This record gives sequence, structure tokens and C-alpha cells, in this order.
Amino acid sequence: MASPVSVYNSNALDAHIASTPRESLKMELLADVSLLPGEERIIDKDIIYMCHFNGAVKGKVLITNYRLYFKSSDADVTVMLDVPLGAISRVEKMGGASSRGENSYGLDITCKDMRNLKFALKQEGHSRRDIFDLLFRHAFPLSHGLPLFAYVTQEKYAENGWNIYKPVEEFRRQGLPNNKWRITFINKSYDLCDTYPTVLAVPFKSKEEDLRRVAAFRSKGRIPVLSWIHRENQAVIVRCSQPLVGMSGKRNRDDERYLDLIREANDTTKLTIYDARPSVNAVANKATGGGYEGDEYQNAELIFLDIQNIHVMRESLKKLKDIVYPNVEESHWLSSLESTHWLEHVKLVLSGAIQVADKVSSGNSVVVHCSDGWDRTAQLTSLAMLMLDSHYRTLRGFQGLIEKEWISFGHKFASRIGHGDKNHADQDRSPIFVQFIDCVWQMTKQFPTAFEFNEHLLLTILDHLYSCRFGTFLYNCESARDQHEVRSKTVSLWSLVNSKMDIYLNPFYTPESGRVLYPVASMRHLELWVTYYIRWNPRIRQQQQSPVEQRYKELLALRDEYLKKLEQLQLSDSSTSSRLANSPTPNTSSNTSPSQQYTHLHTPF
Amino acid sequence: MEFSEHIKTANVEDVVLRQPLHPPSRGTLCITGHHLLFSDREEGSSRQVLLLLRNIDAIEKSVENLLGYSGFFSNAGLSERMSGSSGTITIKCKDLRVLQLDIPGMEQCLNIAHSIETLSCLDCVSEMYPFFYRPADLSLQDQWGLSTPEKHYSQMKELCERWRLSSVNRDYSVCPSYPSAVIVPNSIDDSTLKKVAKFRQGGRFPVLCYYHKKNGMVIMRSSQPLMGANRKRCKEDELLLQAVIDGSDKGYIIDTRSSQQAQQARMTGGGFESKSCYSHWKRLHRQMDRGKALQESLIKLVEACGDESNNMDRWLSKLENSKWLSHVQTALSTAGLLAECVERDGHSVLVHGSEGTDSSLLISTLAQLIMDPCCRTLDGFLALLEREWLQAGHPFQQRCARSAYSHARLQQESPVFLLLLDCVWQLWRQFPLALGFSEALLIRLATEVYASDYGTFLCNSDQERCAMGIKDKTHCLFQALLRPGERDFYSNPLYEPTELAIWPSVHPQSLQLWRGFFLRWTQQARHLEEAQEEIRNMLIEWGKLALS
Repeated sequence: MASPVSVYNSNALDAHIASTPRESLKMELLADVSLLPGEERIIDKDIIYMCHFNGAVKGKVLITNYRLYFKSSDADVTVMLDVPLGAISRVEKMGGASSRGENSYGLDITCKDMRNLKFALKQEGHSRRDIFDLLFRHAFPLSHGLPLFAYVTQEKYAENGWNIYKPVEEFRRQGLPNNKWRITFINKSYDLCDTYPTVLAVPFKSKEEDLRRVAAFRSKGRIPVLSWIHRENQAVIVRCSQPLVGMSGKRNRDDERYLDLIREANDTTKLTIYDARPSVNAVANKATGGGYEGDEYQNAELIFLDIQNIHVMRESLKKLKDIVYPNVEESHWLSSLESTHWLEHVKLVLSGAIQVADKVSSGNSVVVHCSDGWDRTAQLTSLAMLMLDSHYRTLRGFQGLIEKEWISFGHKFASRIGHGDKNHADQDRSPIFVQFIDCVWQMTKQFPTAFEFNEHLLLTILDHLYSCRFGTFLYNCESARDQHEVRSKTVSLWSLVNSKMDIYLNPFYTPESGRVLYPVASMRHLELWVTYYIRWNPRIRQQQQSPVEQRYKELLALRDEYLKKLEQLQLSDSSTSSRLANSPTPNTSSNTSPSQQYTHLHTPF
Repeated sequence: MEFSEHIKTANVEDVVLRQPLHPPSRGTLCITGHHLLFSDREEGSSRQVLLLLRNIDAIEKSVENLLGYSGFFSNAGLSERMSGSSGTITIKCKDLRVLQLDIPGMEQCLNIAHSIETLSCLDCVSEMYPFFYRPADLSLQDQWGLSTPEKHYSQMKELCERWRLSSVNRDYSVCPSYPSAVIVPNSIDDSTLKKVAKFRQGGRFPVLCYYHKKNGMVIMRSSQPLMGANRKRCKEDELLLQAVIDGSDKGYIIDTRSSQQAQQARMTGGGFESKSCYSHWKRLHRQMDRGKALQESLIKLVEACGDESNNMDRWLSKLENSKWLSHVQTALSTAGLLAECVERDGHSVLVHGSEGTDSSLLISTLAQLIMDPCCRTLDGFLALLEREWLQAGHPFQQRCARSAYSHARLQQESPVFLLLLDCVWQLWRQFPLALGFSEALLIRLATEVYASDYGTFLCNSDQERCAMGIKDKTHCLFQALLRPGERDFYSNPLYEPTELAIWPSVHPQSLQLWRGFFLRWTQQARHLEEAQEEIRNMLIEWGKLALS
């Protein structure tokens, strides 16, 4: 259905703006580009943009150390492109000095964000050599000994986004430590596990030497640690990597005992282990020393969630791109979409997370792992936490969730995205995080009032996943981030977001703290995220965006005013009579009216 | 009224009802001439389910042990043994709900099933429930309907210069499916109209249905001309169309058939406006599936939606194979074409297919929504439906006799109106601020059109409704929907009127399954309904603040 929430479509990196004719601005074409502090011009050039939708467009291109900017010079059609160099995965030369045909000589640029850009140049005097070389250098700075733009930018924000997530505070929010779970700093110098954060929550009864022995039996030392605990029933979500069972079926009593400690912690009879992989893959992993928990783990059940690996996901999204860009498949759209299997993968990830959430809310602790525990595992734990804990559905809570389950626990952003790296065919690249954000979007569609943030936030996150303007998604793990002083030398994406929060807010957000969200993961209820995957196609754009955005802005203002008035009423009420503290406005009598819900509202800002 | 002869068992105790979104409940089942009534016995919560028998599209019964005993009904000792048996009736409704009743006692079960089968498809209009529905808060003296041709005509002052209201059809003899008054060019007198009517199938001569104030262009609709194999002409018909475009260079005819279909229609006496006879008119053919093809598409879609057997079930392929969304696409793009001719190109358009009672109405309605802000309010939309569907003679009774679950042989059934509602929903989804009514209204209409307490959708034409005394003996749905409490519920809280045309995107990527209707009885649809409700309440609350 048409959720009124996710209608924000335009964004800062948006490309095509067809507008009214303008007088020729040839001279000052590039005059109105506003560069970021620290951003420097590298080259500009007359060029022809081979637009897939408008045909060949003459104009000027500007390349800086951050972006590729193009503006058309034709008076009748205004085309603008503003692409962060970080979004570029591949730059190729198109045609040769001798190739025939109009506009056959130029550059072919493949982007990580579902689009390709082609530029044509004059065929004389090696006109593309300099621009190609410079673009190649700055699009892939790490391959050329240059710094990422995040280390160059001089941007300043009112808020420091690096403070959004503090592990100890987050554990405290969850009610930890308690008598069953303790906080350990055993990994403070990353010598237990170099891809884990320094602060970990483990069973109270486990000793530091136990942890070391367990680490020896878990792939990459990624031992089972607590991600989330249910306040009432004390059931937990624990994450880890696969056990190193191998072909010979090795056992490790410490690991077995350790998992049993997790079960014991809330006195349930059975611990459920969710292995995100299809069972065949789990078996196949034994050949390379991995594997899964067998019958020797007493009081535990193992469930495979059938989610495919990073290579399958990469190929699936590639297929999706093939049917949406540059031309959108028209005649057999739905069956073509089906054949990409993208929605099916989304469905499996979501339904895996639903199983995790359901198990935990019914009081059973769970352990989640895949092979290394940094891709599918991160998807499952973070989505399950989003379903279980309304804190993560707030604007700041969601940032914390990403910081915690993805960034601090070592989702290999650098390898999966390939920041600054020219090796576009790297088999380590995979859109696992994009898929997670897609799952979140599906949830916001199904629960239009449950999330404090809107679609615009999700789009912004994905744009800066690639842009390299912020340090947030750089590097593979905390130890690497420490080594490269990310927190002191770069700006956090959350600085940008939290300094201008209102554009990321959902006016219809209704906080409901106790509610567990179970999205429906049936194919019937999933939709392709058209406003992300097909946003570059001007013909598929949703209609009349600006009035809707405008209206939502007004509604937000109205809402703020409403909340303010409510607060005043409550203040005056509570001062005169505490009995009335819960009656929000004089006019409401119904128990189910939303104003009732606002009485318990904790505004996070 | 002899409903009782169809009811052998009126009451059964200890029946278990299973319905979507609720846990099974045990209670008493009661059958009356028009309803199935189930009352829950649970303490504290007396819940009732009242189902119009008319809403039932198909039933399936499975009676345990039936085969073993069926030959021995005369045996007296048997009834005892039978009483230990039970049966299950699965009820599939036209609103796509599926209910299941576990009934103790085989005989009772068979009796109930028989009553449902018989009573749910009685087709005598005067015995239908709207003639018996007498709620306390409505009076038969209340105003019936929202618009009349006279009112419509008088509302558009610009019209009277070139257009007149003709009552040539006052006794429905010229065209049985038209209302008693229609709008036609000033220069065409009633005797000419009579001649034109003879040249158009079913007497549906071209009449005005929309006047575009911005440029004075109009949308006309009619049925196909009866040119036949001999290429007959009708001077009066040509004259009428000439009068329509009087003063401008040309008009368009949008024929909702392919040109091949239009050619073939000549073999059965129909045809099209040939270039030689209608030189100022340009024909555009847009093939729109209708009738059986549409009904079968709906059946496939509903089957796919209800198939919960396996979750990895090639759902998208099934959705595509049902072709429902491509019908939506064709309807919206043809309507877009029509609106483009009028709004952008500034030409008048005549729309017809063959009978002019289905596809023509579909696209003229959608085009008006696209172009005319007045049609986009709650009142305006209902009035539009009244004009373009009820008064214009869409044969609701024939088209909506049965829906997607029915096993009966298809006759005239076709979900054209449902397709319209789906298209309107797509517009609503693409323009969340531009329409004054809510999704709930569209869902309500999609239900009411198949089974209703109100008389609005009974019969096939104005003439029939007049003969049946619908306006005197039943209540009007549209009036009921506009009562204060209901009006809020059916209004779009985000509505912001715009004078601009709302051009829908018709790419397959822009069209979605109307989950609110087709997956209505799922938990997810319920969540969304609740969220909508929450948003509505929120906006009302904020609105109060703005006023205070």
C-alpha cells in the first residue's frame, strides 16, 4: 500500500533536474558549484554527457578531489550530475582515437549505486588522456597512495557524531552488567579477536581463560558474545562465527560448556543456534576447517536459515541492475524481477530475523552465526534487534544499531564496498549492507508509524556508504579504525545527520516502547525499493515529490507544536493535580486516541 | 416472502467458526433469508458475525461419513449415528474473505449448505436485502443520490452556450441504458438524436460526459456505430459529431478495441467511424481487455493471492500471469491518452468500444480524475461514480453477480468496476495528497458493489432502478458514506487540493498490487489499516491544535 512515510525521493546527490529554460550560462556554468571545505578543483573540461534518458547533452565537467560534477550548457535542457568519486567502481576508456561514429570516443564510468555514466570527448589530441588519468587517480585514491577524502575534508558540524555510540553506555541501557552477564575488556588491545570491538559482554560465569580457549575454536577468534538482552525475560541474542569443527569433527569442551552457560543464564531448557547458511554450505565449510555445532552440544538445537553467501547476493543485485538501468524492463517486469531473486533473498534475511526475534521474545536465548559472523550474522542480529527494541527505531537509536552491530563488530565495509580501491572485480565486494537497509525499508513500509526516521535517512546512509566523505563506513574493523585514527581525523556521518535532523524525521512516528514488530516476510508483502534502485530513471520517479515533502515539513512543525503544547499542559496539570497527569488535552476522551500515546513520549531531542 | 422454504435448519448450536485474523470461536449459527449470523458464546465477549448471504461467492462442503450413509436416509436408526458425525462448510466471499464453519450433525450441515447455496444466488431484485434494510438512523425520505443530469448540467454555466439538456430519453425508449436526461450539442434536435440512436448499439448515441473548463473541450461517450458489413452511414450521426467539434479543427475518437477488432465488429453489425465519413475525427485504437478476459484475470489473481501453500512459490510470476496489473496499466495509460488529448492537445474526444458500458466508462472516469480537481474530493468522486457508472448504465447486476471464487459458469460477470477502483488506488498511491478520499473508501466500494445493504448498485440501469422503485424503497450508499462520522473515515487526512492535472506513471515499476484489497484478510493489511487510522487520528488531533 502507499505508505505516506517513504515518499522522500530527492536527495543531495540527485542527478537530473529538468527545469525551465535558462539563458546560456556557458561562462559561469561551474560557478554555482558549492565545494565542501577542503574540496579542491582538479580539472574541468567541455564534454558531452551521453545521458541514457535525454540523449547527448553538451556541458562542462568538473572533477574535484571529492566529486564529479557535470552541468549542461544547452539552454533548453538542464542536466546536472553530482557524483561523489567514492561511488565510482570502474572507469574505462570508450572507443579509440580512430573509432567512428558520433560521440564514440570518451569515458565509461560504472558506479556502485546502480548507474553508469558515459561521457564523450572530441577525438583530437588525446583530449581524454588527462581527464582519464586524473579521474582514475582520484576515484581510487588508495590505489594511488592518496588519502581518502574523509581525511581531507574540513567540514565542521554542531554535533560530533562519533559520540552517538558508546558500548558501555549501550550495555547499561540494556541493563548490563547484571548477575548473569559481565562486561569484559579482555579484547582491549585486540589480541583475543582483531575484528571485534574492545568491550564485550559475556556470561558472568565464564572466566577469561575460558574465553581464550573458546576463541581458539571459533573462526577468526570471533567468540560468542552478547548483542542484546530482553529486559523482562532475560533471553539474549549472542553472535559469533562458526566453530572450527573441520573434516575430522573436532570437539571443544570449553566451547560446549560456554554455550551452555549462555543457556543457563536465563534458565531455559534449550539454546537455539541459528546458522544463517544453507545446510549444504555449512557442511561444505568443514572442508576448510569450519562447520557447525553438532549433537555434542547438549541442550542446544541448530536451525539453518538458508541465506546465501556474499557472492550470490552480489550476482543477484547485478542482475537487478541489468533490468533497471539504463533501460527498465517493461514487458515482463515481474518475472524478470523474480529471476534476479533479490526479493527472495530479502525475504530470507527478514524471515530469519523474525525467527530470531520470535524466539527471544518467547524467552529463549539464541546464538546467531554464519561462517565468519560479519555479514549474514550482522544482518540477522541487527534486524532482530530492530524488531524487538523500539529504541533502535528512533533516529539516534538506529545510528547506534549500525555503529554497534555493523561497524564495531567488524562488518568488512572496506572489503565489501572497496573504498578507494580500483579493483572493481574484487570477489570480496558484496552489497550485504545495502540488503540490510533494504530490509529496514521493507519494515518501514509495513509499519509506517513505528520508525522515527524516514526514507530519506536510508537513502543518505546508502549514498555515504560509498562517498568516502565521512569516516563512518571506512575500514573493516575497530582495530583498523584505531590504527588510522578515524575518530580523530575524520567526520562521522551522524554529525551531518544530527546537525540537520528534521529532514530525516517521519511526521507520523508514534513511539510504542513495548511493541515487537513482526513484519510479514512473505513475497506477497515485499516490494522492490523503486525509489532507491530505480531512482536514476526520471521516468519512474514518483510524482509530485516536492508538495509531499513540503506537506510533511509542515506536519512536522505542527507535530512539534502539538508536543510542546502537550508538555505545557502536562506541566501545569502535574503542578495542580497529579491525578490529571495522564490526560493530555482537554478535548480527548477516548483511550485509544494517539494523544494518549504521546503522554508517554520521550522526545529524544 | 418465501425464504423459509429454503431454510430447513435455521439454528445450529456448537458451531466452530474459523475466520482470518481471529482465533476459532464456538457459538450458535443462525440462517435467515438474507444473513448468516454467528454468535459467539464466549463469556464476557459476545461477538457476532453477520454475513450477507449475497456476499457468498462459493461454498465447499465436506461431510464426514457422508458417502457411507447417503443411501440410507430413510433408515430411522441412522439419525443417531449421524448426529455423531459433523461437516465443514468453507465459505468464500465476494469480499475475498474465506470462512470455515464446523457444524455438528451431518444433516444440519447439509441443510445449512443447501440454504446458503440457494439463498446466496437468488436473483430477484425485489427480494434482495436492500429492500428490507431499515436502520434506525436512516429514513427512506432522505435524499437519494448526489447528482442528477439536470444538476450536473446546471453546475457548468459555461456549457449552456453550445450544449443543451435533452430529455429525448425521458421514457427510456430511445436508449434503455441511458438516464432520462443527457447533454448533447445545442444544434442537434431530439428527432436527430433518435435517428443517431438507431445507428448506435443499444441506442447509446454520443453524449457529453465531461466539459474541460480550461479550454472548452469535451469528452463524449457512446457505443459503436452500427456500420455493418455494408458500411452503412448515418448523416445525423456525422452531423452530431461535427457539432461536437464545431469551431475547432479536429477531434479524436478513442476506440477501446484494436483496429482489427473494430474491423471484425462489422461482421456482426457493428463497426467504427470511417475516415471518409468522419473526416475531422482521428481514430486511435487502444485494445482493452474486457468481459471474460478480465474476469479470468481476477480469478487467477485471487487464486495466487490466496495460495499460501508454499512460500517460495514464484509469486511474482503468478502475479504477472494473472495479467491484472497489465489491465491496470492499459486502463491508466489509455485514460492518460484521453486526458492528454483534452488537456494538452486541446481537442474533444469521443470514447467508445462496442457497447460503451464498460471500458469507455472506465477510461472516461479515470481521465476526469486526472484532469478535474472537482472529481477528486470525496463528494466529487462519489458524484462522478454516480454519473459515469450508475446513470451511464454500467450493468452492475450482470457484472457483479459473482466474483473470483464462484464455480458457476460465467455469464456476464466482469470486474470492470473493481479494475476502476484499483486504478484509482494507483493514482491515490502516486499522489498521496491529491485525492480527498481514503483507501478505506475504495475498499468499501469494492465490497458494496458485490453485496450491499444499500440499493445503490442494484439493477443494470436507471430505467430498471426506476421500475424497481429503488429510490423509494432502499437507502442510498453514497448518502450514507457522507454522514458526519463516516465522512471522516472516508476522507484523506493528507488531502491538499491541487488545480494541476495528476499524470500517473504507468510503468510496471510504478504500479503495485492493491494489497489493501487483494490481501485484505492478512495480518499485514491489518497493521497498515491500523497505521492509517493512527495517522488519521494524529492529524485530526494536530488539526484541532491548529484551530485552537
